[in-house]
Amino acid sequence: MADRVRPSRRQALKLALTAAGAGTAVLAGGGWPAPAPAVWAETPGAAPAAVPLPPLGVIALNRLAFGPRPGHLDYATFDGMAGATPAEKLASFVDWQLNLTAEGSECTTRLANAGLATLNLSLTQLWSTYGADGADRVRPVRDVRAATLIRALYSQRQLYELAVDFWHNHFNIYAWDYGYASLTWAHWDRTVIRAHALGNFRQMLGAVAAHPAMLFYLDNYLNQVAGFNENWARELCELHTLGAENYLGVRDPMTVPTLSFPGGGNFPAGTAVAEGYVDNDVYEIARAFTGWRVEDGWWPVAADTGNFLYYADWHDKANKFVLGRYFPNSQANDPQRDGNDALDLLAYHPGTARHVCRKLCRRFVGDDPSDALVNAAADVFIAERFQADQLRRVLRFILLSDDFQSTFGEKIKRPFEAAVGALRAVNADVRPELDGFYWHFDEIGQPLFEWRPPNGYPDTRAAWLSSVSLLKRWQFVNSAIEGWIDHWEAGVSTELVAIDVVAQSAGGGNTANQLVDFWISRVLGRPMANSQDRDRIVQFLRGPYSANAGLSTDHQAEYLPRAVALLLMAPDCQWR
Amino acid sequence: MPVSLSRRQFLRGCSAAIAALAGARLTRLAFGATNAPNREILVVVFLRGGWDALNVLPPIAGADRALYEQARPNLRVAAGGAGGALSLNGQLGFHPALAPLLPFYQSQKLAVVQAVGLTADTRSHFDAMQFMELGTPGVKTTTSGWLTRHLQTAANLPPDVLFPALSAGGSTALSLLGTSDAVAMSDPGGFRLDGYWGLIDEQRAALRDLYATTDPADWLRLAGTETLDTIDLVEQSANGNYVPANGAQYPGGSFGDNLRAVAQLIKMEVGLQVATVDLGGWDTHEYQGDSGEGYLAERLQELALGLAALYTDLDGGCGATFAQRTTILVMSEFGRRLRENANHGTDHGHGSAMLALGGSVRGGQVYGTWPGLATGQLYDGYDLAVTTDYRRVLSEVLVRRLGQPLTNLGTIFPGYAGYTPLGVFNDAYAPVPPPAGPHSVFLPSVSRNAGQTCP
Repeated sequence: MADRVRPSRRQALKLALTAAGAGTAVLAGGGWPAPAPAVWAETPGAAPAAVPLPPLGVIALNRLAFGPRPGHLDYATFDGMAGATPAEKLASFVDWQLNLTAEGSECTTRLANAGLATLNLSLTQLWSTYGADGADRVRPVRDVRAATLIRALYSQRQLYELAVDFWHNHFNIYAWDYGYASLTWAHWDRTVIRAHALGNFRQMLGAVAAHPAMLFYLDNYLNQVAGFNENWARELCELHTLGAENYLGVRDPMTVPTLSFPGGGNFPAGTAVAEGYVDNDVYEIARAFTGWRVEDGWWPVAADTGNFLYYADWHDKANKFVLGRYFPNSQANDPQRDGNDALDLLAYHPGTARHVCRKLCRRFVGDDPSDALVNAAADVFIAERFQADQLRRVLRFILLSDDFQSTFGEKIKRPFEAAVGALRAVNADVRPELDGFYWHFDEIGQPLFEWRPPNGYPDTRAAWLSSVSLLKRWQFVNSAIEGWIDHWEAGVSTELVAIDVVAQSAGGGNTANQLVDFWISRVLGRPMANSQDRDRIVQFLRGPYSANAGLSTDHQAEYLPRAVALLLMAPDCQWR
Repeated sequence: MPVSLSRRQFLRGCSAAIAALAGARLTRLAFGATNAPNREILVVVFLRGGWDALNVLPPIAGADRALYEQARPNLRVAAGGAGGALSLNGQLGFHPALAPLLPFYQSQKLAVVQAVGLTADTRSHFDAMQFMELGTPGVKTTTSGWLTRHLQTAANLPPDVLFPALSAGGSTALSLLGTSDAVAMSDPGGFRLDGYWGLIDEQRAALRDLYATTDPADWLRLAGTETLDTIDLVEQSANGNYVPANGAQYPGGSFGDNLRAVAQLIKMEVGLQVATVDLGGWDTHEYQGDSGEGYLAERLQELALGLAALYTDLDGGCGATFAQRTTILVMSEFGRRLRENANHGTDHGHGSAMLALGGSVRGGQVYGTWPGLATGQLYDGYDLAVTTDYRRVLSEVLVRRLGQPLTNLGTIFPGYAGYTPLGVFNDAYAPVPPPAGPHSVFLPSVSRNAGQTCP
């Protein structure tokens, strides 16, 4: 493996990547479309316009799923849930979704037919196969990307897929870097994100900290006693655990007030722990993780497996002072204790509970969740912190809250949700395993696993309201409906998105009034917020004829797909 | 094709009568109002990740040179000679990869502000960027960006402006948070909605009705209408194949593309006043390149080639005054630590540097106070200190170029007081020209390129 990317060469390949840190890399990197959105603050904007509160089934299908898929998982599915009231049906729906283990036969068949060879390979298999000279180092990313789309489109476990999307962004890595992320991506997705998305936060954090993709992305694979590298430690504190709201800046750590620790790891309940972190904590935590690296065959390590390696020679064994706690010299029989103790202090800290819960609420409820909801969810997060399904319990608590049921339209779907939602709404037959799909999908501004900074795609409406973002999501709808999404190879075109709007309209009547109401009911599950919007789509569909005239087959073939596209581009289809 | 009001106009309280005139205004704006006075343009280039100001502008002489070399045994840029720094003032030099910018410095179009940055204590990217772009160091809950507050208070912004702000790229910059005026666009030529030829016009007309609103709080429909306005505007204004003037050559990649889009929109004369462009990749924790070569040098070269192309593209020709009316500012959220780390990189620091490029910049000088690199002079014992508040430079641009009265600065930068100009920019609003001295050339003449064809 002597030839595998030496640092300088790797650096050239990586471009803006890990090191891009905070930055939006607007560079085109290595021929891939670069993500363009700027870094966004999670800052409240103007008060949203009131969107009428829809039935609970609409909230559920548009927030706990990638939208309804008529005939498969739709508003009728919700209405068929056990319970006498909408709230009881919601509870049944949430519990059904949170406990589903099967993706459904359609999804598994499509996955099997897509030829995604790397999805279930072990870390060492991925490392040796896709790290070899001349190998396609990004094949695992391509496979996971296709699998993620297939699952978002067709899996019955819709809520799980949204949780996976959340955690991929929470522990964001730019997957396309040639170093250790792209070739291990299937393992990262499977054993770190998917394995823990409804599991235990501390366990997930441990898996994150020891994975070659993250060790590489945030530079900890180089972190050594000779001079620590703070990149991982800083983002671990600021993004993964305590959050920037608990960063107290450049300040004497002895002046930070303490709180009573809930208990966990080597720190019993009642231990005095700093309320927040200062720069010194970042440096001390960086020292705690010195020597956490990868078996990458890099001198003087001979092993070249991709597995985690604790390399004692690089570990800074001297005393440390982390969040108000004294870490004595590392003990020889527990060499990773420094790092694990730091993870315990961070994972079980009340500030982390609030930070993670606020992000979950922002994702699943609205841009500005109430402190009451966040704090109540954080209490659950702490109380259940040793449970194997801690995150499932926290999510259930948030989804059954009053806030969840009484808010709608405070934010819009992100492009990934909007695009998948549009395809589901018209029962599109999609083949995302071929690259041609991404020529269109990536244009919408949220290419999967391509956000370069470590903070993940933004999750506020303001970040996605730009004109180019709206234009591109409209364009995606038209491109899909028109059948323009295809794959060209060797002069042959393969259609990747097939949609037959007319065939799905059987039973929907044949006048413009009937057909529009049929599709509104099917896609929105409620009347449009503005009744004149419905009338406007009718006006478009009827052409020169009366709204109550039976439309010919030819007229329907020409007008109906474009009328449905219009519905999918309307404001009502953007809210969540 | 109906064209609605600009959002700005709309939010200020529109009337149907004004709306009826919008179509005519569009034409006049797009094609008529070339070289209108007071149409100043500010382009803010934000380098995300925290650029290594100490290698961008290495000290080349004196005691600090020795301290710099001690702290950076691998990364240091030579003080001169081939592959070494390009002296600016005998004390500081440009990184050699900034060579494409040196002629602009020498012809006094480019100025440097040293040891500039945030007064707030943070080494977090995300905090620092928020503080800077919101214009409120230490406060992250501000609900609008500093450029937004400028646009909201600008008295001289013509009321007929359709397109006052642009974020080049996919998303609106944080400095423009809270305005529905800003348009995000990466390529004017690609800003259109395609569909089935037989019905696309009807589709667009219907879409406009679906996104029509009279409710100023209806943020989604407002954004949709803005998008449709922009599609109309670009359709009527943009020519298909934009050819940069003066043989300007933008570097390949999104950064060059975005700068070219900015130039194109400036020349379209649609009322653009502020534009933001992002360039990422500056968070150089590892292997940023020894001796001034490698990764950081590549980033700097792309930056320098892009800025040089933009200025060249805007510079004169056919009596235009684009270069005189355009000011380009380059900034980053912080600089990096003086001492290199064990991975031949640098961790997060504090004091940074800014560049100002434009026909009305008093270039050829390094502004600000050098704080020194001795341990006692460093911020928190580690980093270059900040001696110039970045808001001081932004305030000067607003006052001297964009015509903001001093009394508005408190609104644009709440909590910032005691502004005095550094003197980086010529004052477009001063009754008399600024005093002579080293800045004897403050309004460069515009020369037409030989052989250039003008309409």
